[in-house]
Amino acid sequence: MKQFLDMVLIGISAASIYSLMAISMVLVWRSTRVVNFAQAGMALLSAYFGYELVGRIGNFWIALPLAMILGAAFSAFIEFVLMRTLQKHSNQGPIAAIAPIIATLGLLGVIHAVIGFIWGHADVQIQAPLSNVGFKFGETTIVMSPMSLFVLLFVIALMIFVSIIFQKTNIGLALRASAFAPEIAQLAGIRVSGIRTLGWAIAGAAGAAAGILQTVNGTGALSPESLEFSLLLVFGFIAAVIGGLESLPGAVLGALILGLVLAAVQIYISGSLVFIVAFLLLLLVLILRPQGFLGSKAGRRA
Amino acid sequence: MLKKHPIITFLFFGFVLFLISNRLDELRVYQGATVAVYAIGIASLILLIGYSGQVSLGHGALLAIGGYAAALARIHYESPVWLTFVVAVLAAAIGGALLGLAAARLSGPYLAGTTLALAIGLPSIANQFLILGGEQGLIFDVGPPPSSLGEDFTQYKWFFWISWTVALITLYWLRNILNSRYGRGWRAVRSNDVAAELAGIHAGRNKVLAFTISAGLAGLAGALLGMLLIVSPGVYSLALSFSLATGAVLSGVTTLGGVMIGAVTLVAIPEIALAIADRYGSETITTNLPGLLVSALLILTVLFVPNGPVEQLHAKRAKKGHSSHSPVEISVRVGHKTWSTKK
Amino acid sequence: MLAIAALTVSTVPAQALNPKASDTGVTATTIKLGITSPLNGIAAPGYKKIPDAMKAYFDYVNANGGVNGRKITLVSEDDRYIPATAVANANKLILRDKVFALVGTLGTASTKAISERAQLSKRGVPSLFVNTGFSGFANPTQSGIKGNPLAYSTTFAILPSYQMEAKIMAKFIKDKYDGKKLALIYQDDDFGRDALAGFKTAGLTFDTYLPYASGSQASAAAGWVSKILAAKSDVTVMFGVSSATTALLNAAFRGGLFGKTQFVLGSVGGDATTIANTSPALVPLLNGAKGFSFAPAPTDTSDEYIKLFQSIYSAAQPKETFDNNVVAGMSNAFLVVQALKATGANLTRKGLIQTIETKGSTLAHPFLSPLGYSKTSHVGAQGYWVGTYGPTGALTPDGGKYTVYTTDSGTGPVVESTYKRPAMPAKGL
Repeated sequence: MKQFLDMVLIGISAASIYSLMAISMVLVWRSTRVVNFAQAGMALLSAYFGYELVGRIGNFWIALPLAMILGAAFSAFIEFVLMRTLQKHSNQGPIAAIAPIIATLGLLGVIHAVIGFIWGHADVQIQAPLSNVGFKFGETTIVMSPMSLFVLLFVIALMIFVSIIFQKTNIGLALRASAFAPEIAQLAGIRVSGIRTLGWAIAGAAGAAAGILQTVNGTGALSPESLEFSLLLVFGFIAAVIGGLESLPGAVLGALILGLVLAAVQIYISGSLVFIVAFLLLLLVLILRPQGFLGSKAGRRA
Repeated sequence: MLKKHPIITFLFFGFVLFLISNRLDELRVYQGATVAVYAIGIASLILLIGYSGQVSLGHGALLAIGGYAAALARIHYESPVWLTFVVAVLAAAIGGALLGLAAARLSGPYLAGTTLALAIGLPSIANQFLILGGEQGLIFDVGPPPSSLGEDFTQYKWFFWISWTVALITLYWLRNILNSRYGRGWRAVRSNDVAAELAGIHAGRNKVLAFTISAGLAGLAGALLGMLLIVSPGVYSLALSFSLATGAVLSGVTTLGGVMIGAVTLVAIPEIALAIADRYGSETITTNLPGLLVSALLILTVLFVPNGPVEQLHAKRAKKGHSSHSPVEISVRVGHKTWSTKK
Repeated sequence: MLAIAALTVSTVPAQALNPKASDTGVTATTIKLGITSPLNGIAAPGYKKIPDAMKAYFDYVNANGGVNGRKITLVSEDDRYIPATAVANANKLILRDKVFALVGTLGTASTKAISERAQLSKRGVPSLFVNTGFSGFANPTQSGIKGNPLAYSTTFAILPSYQMEAKIMAKFIKDKYDGKKLALIYQDDDFGRDALAGFKTAGLTFDTYLPYASGSQASAAAGWVSKILAAKSDVTVMFGVSSATTALLNAAFRGGLFGKTQFVLGSVGGDATTIANTSPALVPLLNGAKGFSFAPAPTDTSDEYIKLFQSIYSAAQPKETFDNNVVAGMSNAFLVVQALKATGANLTRKGLIQTIETKGSTLAHPFLSPLGYSKTSHVGAQGYWVGTYGPTGALTPDGGKYTVYTTDSGTGPVVESTYKRPAMPAKGL
């Protein structure tokens, strides 16, 4: 019984991080119709920003929002410089479909190299602000600690916040319109390009949170080769697709499903099968329910 | 010359390589063999992405299938080397067919993401099954060069010969396929699958065929790569998939002609980085510069020369030869989908 | 075409031939050695100190006249504990840097791959004192590889083999923890499987086996803790790399495993300062765990070698802590120098190999067990002493003095050793 509880808690804990990544990927998709494969790289860079900030300020609770702002700024910068140039030059021919994908891949490589230059490849530490030891109930310790509880609450809060923006505000409407029908949005007076940048900025902030929280929720060690960040990229993407790339609550649901399934595999079967299971899950969803659990039928192919 | 007498060109190229291999030192010979392997890998991507319009970020996984199949055939069945290559091609082709079937309904980022997940996931299977050797991998030993070639014929020269013979034959074969009706079929489906269907081409089958052949080529490259290094998850990493995709873009995804550019660049960049690092004597440069150069080159290429240098050259030549006005084009737009006569 | 022409042109050799050179990598005044090891990545914690530690000792020797008048340079490459990268690095060191010999290569998988793939025996390149306990290197004429029995003929071990360590561990566990429930965490490759073979030979079976694939330790650790608690293991043996031990301690801390099982750490993953580098909070958790070593403890200032190494290292690397990895690196470098010296002024690769095979067992060295080099054996140290970790992570021998047990990699018994280490040569040169 305890094993089952452990599994659920591990799954939820992991899911909360993946969902941050998934949310940021869905945000980029919904506002600019691009899947940003460099998202995890940008999250990694933001985590390093976080490391520097925590080091200089000494207070994690101030550093976190600041790092998110920096992440947002960097993300907006990338959209402005890279993606717009891409749109101008590479919108013809077979390369058009994959040009953004290749460009974001290149970006990932550049970010890795730059991080390696500035901070080196050895581990750096971000000190977790809350305890990582599981809560104790009498004799037993469960696998949820104050830190992972915070991450969970943070994600829920962020999701609610972003959903409200998207669904209930004019900006949110503008974001959705610019992605779905840019010409019409422009006719309606929306500055489409500015709105797209905004979409990337919000995604950047979410990604930054994902990167930092992932680090402190783990061993606190950060390096360019952290396995956790490749995981973040792939699992964030898979979670987003499972939930439906169009839907923000879907991103969270997808992350939850993924997190629980992988935790079950890890505890009951073997840790080394997680990647394969994740891949099979992705394939299964794409074949059986391609729009994801909470997505609508339209727009999967575009 | 290539267009008129392809066989002669290939033979000539092979002869030149033979001459060169006798003059180079072991390091260059080894690197030369690596260029051949990358050429095959990149060619497989050109077929898939450039001609068939399907993007794969995880070709490393298909190379892995080929590598492991060849190594296992050699280790457990002591197959002769040529047979191991055949096994590698078949195994990878089957994998590609399966992937293609799953992928036929996907496009764009979904396909990209799925292949990415495969690239990350497949090597970890090696850790599950003892027979696959885990992280330390398997040794794919093609044996020493035949004694008829003389005492001085080194193992690395033998690798060079094997790799280039296979590469030349493969590229020649691929070139013919791409110029045949299959190639035209792929291009048709890529630019407009509905119109292609109307013209009698079965889009789904066409796409799966592209994946299968591309995978077979990848498997061959994977076996050769395993021969040069070892067959282990570390060799068929995500980095390999990205490198091949980069090489394909650098070569010009839409045409086979530039494949050497990408292959040589991929091998040359670490060299250049090393040379720079030796000059400035910095550890950080050696580790990070190759990655930076490759990625930066990738971004710049996709931004400014998206169809590759060869195609760009052809386009320039075409423009010079014809009138200064662009040809008439017709575009039809329904909703947010556009069909146009411009390629 | 242009590129190929460029490649051809750049093959003109950079160095002119030196008439006094005896072999590749050796000139009248220099000896070039190469090392590829994990400086980054999953096994880097701790091990990345080794090349610098070796360099520190080599510099000390160079400052005191060098080896028969020649100064040693060490070219170091990072392989991230990935065998494919290690092979590529070895090729680079041998073909481009043209080193005289490889030294201190680290990692069972990497070392095996290098010896086979970079064709060390065919090229006659010595690979000295590899940092792995893989028992396959013991016999130079029997590599166990089909069609290539001499693959390891130029490779020399220095650590006791994992089979030896497992057998000695087994005796210790049987003596002290007879009848208790046992769990074993091990790396699922030749490194871990070597240990399994040793346990089997010694007749020790575990109640719970927990293999992990190299690279997956961080995510797998929570699962280990869960299973160990479920199985109520009294003793948990960890036969993995330092990052696996760190992952274990981390997960044990969060999962409430402490006090419920006795940890026994293998020598590879047992270095406390390495663990301290990653997570200082975990070091006190080692208190009471059992550990194995074959060199004097780095905290043992009464040992003449430790004193010497400490003084050299603190001058060369004042910011780094002096730990087991430094001792390992400097001891390795010490033995390399002794072997080079013994080969004489006419330094050739063949000569070096011959020297180690004939005189190796009589060379001076810092270890507490005799060395086993001969024409038919490339084995280095052959035994271990057992100790207990204190609250600061220092390993002190049980019983207050080093009681070394020696054995072989086969079916020989584990015996208490009566070996007395010969005195250190003057000034440690």
